[in-house]
Amino acid sequence: MIVTALIPLFPLRIALIEARMAWDDPVALGPVPGAPQVIGPCTPSAWAQGVRPGLRVGEALARCPGLDLVVPAPDAARAAAERVTLRLEDLGAAVEPGADGESWAFEGDGLVRMHGGVDPLLRRARAALPVGAGGRIGVAPTPFASREAARAGVVIHHHDEARDFLAPLPAARLPLPRKSHEALSQLGIRTMGQVAALPHASVLDRLGPDGARAREMARGEDPVRIAPRVPPQAMNEEVSFAESIGALPALEAALRILIARISERARDRGGSVRAIVMRARLEDGGSWTRAVALREATTDSRRIGIASLPHLAEIAAPVTSLAVEADAGGPPDAGQMAMVHTPDEERMRRAGAALAQVRAAPGAAAVLRLVEMEPWSRLPERTWALGPYEA
Amino acid sequence: MGTRALRGLAATRPVEVFTSPDGTPHAVMQDGRRRLVVAVRDAWRVQDRWWTDEPVDRSYFDVIIEPGRPALIFRERVGEWFTHA
Repeated sequence: MIVTALIPLFPLRIALIEARMAWDDPVALGPVPGAPQVIGPCTPSAWAQGVRPGLRVGEALARCPGLDLVVPAPDAARAAAERVTLRLEDLGAAVEPGADGESWAFEGDGLVRMHGGVDPLLRRARAALPVGAGGRIGVAPTPFASREAARAGVVIHHHDEARDFLAPLPAARLPLPRKSHEALSQLGIRTMGQVAALPHASVLDRLGPDGARAREMARGEDPVRIAPRVPPQAMNEEVSFAESIGALPALEAALRILIARISERARDRGGSVRAIVMRARLEDGGSWTRAVALREATTDSRRIGIASLPHLAEIAAPVTSLAVEADAGGPPDAGQMAMVHTPDEERMRRAGAALAQVRAAPGAAAVLRLVEMEPWSRLPERTWALGPYEA
Repeated sequence: MGTRALRGLAATRPVEVFTSPDGTPHAVMQDGRRRLVVAVRDAWRVQDRWWTDEPVDRSYFDVIIEPGRPALIFRERVGEWFTHA
């Protein structure tokens, strides 16, 4: 029994809350700074006036002149989704958060007795969702059917019921490549029931393994189980700026500081970092977020920096605060030792040893790095800054 | 502020400046002593960050004060004088 909690358009709802805008108005998520000028999900009011996700901004405004665009808030949406995940995990569930940021699934069989039945479990799962966000709970034997059940807010106990429930639903909702959907459309196949009725060999021949799997989903027999996340040992480091910063060197310096702190905390916990998430709050009220997975778990701040620093160039507006989030779930003492050091590495090692000696008595402030803040600024106090020097 | 954060250089701090009737600096209080301005090497105006809630409008003076020390001072639009630390 797979339980799915679904909050349709959750990222849009969070962006509206952040921007203090109403759900009833025609509003759509605007393009992310620097991204193609197409709009994201929209409110029902905008949808009724012909606005669709993926439309170019100009065309959307032509269809709905009263359309308001709200700045995406991926940072806030991620934090809100994490809160929902934690509340569901508080029920004892091993939760798999959906990649779309608006659904959460967990295996419910082991929880039914603990909560005194299916209904109490579902009632508590419903209570874990934010009030007034339009959250729905669905139950079905497979993850795909469970998600579809959540859209309708229904409970399905058996595979046969799942197949009957899915049969009238549009085949376009099956997770298939666009070409496969076009092929189904050309064959006149519109519903999941029609897909389910197709012979297995024909589907495999025409649509490949993806098609065969989609057919199983449509039959309510999807063999894939949910993959719950491992609860993280979260570490957060954040720095706020008195005045917003747009210069890349200054942002890089700030990020280096945060990465050094994260690495230190991971070492203290006896773990290492597998991935980090960088978040920035922008001066215009929006936010930017980027997840970086490392090739191997490490506590080496220099290597984490090499993987993450280039992404700062994606930020398209001045930044008011920068944060790094990471999980110390990697193995301790990760990272393979090199047999031969390059001359550069050897020089850096010696410089590091010298630095440690210089700092031994007067402390870390004895050696600092000069950081360009805004070299073009005519205001001397905004031009340069001193930051920690990490050898 | 600790050593683990960014620390801006050339921060502004208030300074007491005595001006001539035409508004140019005449003397500057430094180390508790009134020091005369012996030369104004340069003067310019900076208007910046007008697109923010805290626009900047400064009149800068690059001066030499007794006994021959250079100093960079500026007057904010409201009339207060500052220097860079």
